[in-house]
Amino acid sequence: MRLVQIAGYLGSGKTTFLLALVQKLAENDKKVAILVNDMGEIPVDGKVMEKAGMKVKDIGGGCVCCTLSGSLMNTLLAIGREQNPDFIIIEPTGIAVPKNITELAQRVSKKVEISFGATITLFDTTRAEKLVTYDTLKRLISTQIKDSDIVALSKVDACDADAIKFSKEEVAKMNPNAEIINLSTKEGVGFEELASAVMEIEVSA
Amino acid sequence: MSTETMTAKDRVIKFLQGEEIDRPPVFSGMGNVIKPVLDKNGLNFARVHRNPDQMATAASGSFLDYGFECAVIPFDLAVEAEAMGAVVNYYDDVDGMLYPTIKGKCVKTIDDIKVPDDLSKAGRIPIIVETIGKIKEKLGDDCAVGVHILGPFTMLGQMKELDDLLEECFIEPEKTNAMMERVSSVIVDVFKIYKEAGADYLILREMGATSDVLSPNSFKNLVKPHLIRIIKEMPQPNILHICGNTNFIVKDMVECGADAISVDQKNNTAESREKIGDNVIMCSGFDPIAVLHNGKLEDVKPGVLEKWDGANAVMPGCDLWPDVTSENMQAMVSALKAGRPDGS
Repeated sequence: MRLVQIAGYLGSGKTTFLLALVQKLAENDKKVAILVNDMGEIPVDGKVMEKAGMKVKDIGGGCVCCTLSGSLMNTLLAIGREQNPDFIIIEPTGIAVPKNITELAQRVSKKVEISFGATITLFDTTRAEKLVTYDTLKRLISTQIKDSDIVALSKVDACDADAIKFSKEEVAKMNPNAEIINLSTKEGVGFEELASAVMEIEVSA
Repeated sequence: MSTETMTAKDRVIKFLQGEEIDRPPVFSGMGNVIKPVLDKNGLNFARVHRNPDQMATAASGSFLDYGFECAVIPFDLAVEAEAMGAVVNYYDDVDGMLYPTIKGKCVKTIDDIKVPDDLSKAGRIPIIVETIGKIKEKLGDDCAVGVHILGPFTMLGQMKELDDLLEECFIEPEKTNAMMERVSSVIVDVFKIYKEAGADYLILREMGATSDVLSPNSFKNLVKPHLIRIIKEMPQPNILHICGNTNFIVKDMVECGADAISVDQKNNTAESREKIGDNVIMCSGFDPIAVLHNGKLEDVKPGVLEKWDGANAVMPGCDLWPDVTSENMQAMVSALKAGRPDGS
């Protein structure tokens, strides 16, 4: 099974993208499992996904450094052994940043076969200036972007060319190696490209 | 021949008070419920969080069965938020061990933070109080009882969308500060309740303030003032624990004023010691997943001993992951009881 992480700030369009993505994967006969976690839960997203027919598993709470990690590890093992989906999608939320989840999955990969797909962060172009200038937001945003293979500039249908250019430049400063894709799930912009990347990209962890 | 001259409880308390001890204590500031103890006593993980007898049995087991020198409760991180109105999912119907979580985000504004008139009767706080008493009945004065509470930023992040919280911190810091202030008052009051009930030491866990999430500058301006206030008002002895990469904020942690600081495996403790000097009690954490849970038996001893560098005590960097083996627990405790590899 291939582990794909999709991160992004609240309201960046993750749920809309995830719904479209899992539908696309299902059309391609791919089995998908989704893990949700937080220091609390994200029940709304989880419920939306369940309604869309995806297998959603909650991994409980606890400190992300160990108790949550233990739950995630056990859940990855159980899913790998019992369901063996083609893709397992994790939305790193709260303080669970992508690199920590990758480190943890590396440990599990010794016991169950896991390959590592792209880590994708959605960056909301409509709020770009706020995201890169608010000191309190910048740390979490830049941590997510630095950990990413692909950054999708989301909601490009709702902003002008200057905002997209600004977003692209700021993201490139934070992670010069990330591929940057314009995305509007609603309008179909960049969606096929991103879905293909999910299906095709395998990275060395 | 044993050279031990103190009880485990005295050792932990005197260590935190900076007094002379026969050897460093082998203890923790985080949860120590483990599956071998649950299984031995026929306890169910999902139910143990709400039953004082069961919680006391589970918490005491790592001392009674393995000689780990503390009993730390609670096992989950949702007690105080629940007391302020958050709804908790205990995963009663789930196979395996899932730690309770808060269902949804219940706080948008300060008015949503409901402080009960009598915190000692709110949510599971009376259960924790009763459990402290029951542990004392079981272990007498032999073992130290620790109780932890989340720090204000982490607790608020449980109840309010973290992204919203971070944004509000910047746009309307006075609103965030008011919320942190209210939560901080609850933390102090609940710590006092736990101390009154017999807790021997108290741990403030501010894991959400890790440098992956907050810049050192944000920690200093936003979180630190509240930690200073809480630590000034809470009973002693106490520990401030922050996990993740804390090297950038370790001096600020010290300035919060706790009797000891505790960091996890991501902290370079030798580098931290350089920054904070020799007079600060610093507990260094080993990785409870990689070393204790996943590690082979022969890897446990070197895995824990390597964390002595610059530290006054070595402990699990976080909660023990319950699914640890008895053999690894025994290996960890005996490796740490032997003291520093260099004998200093």
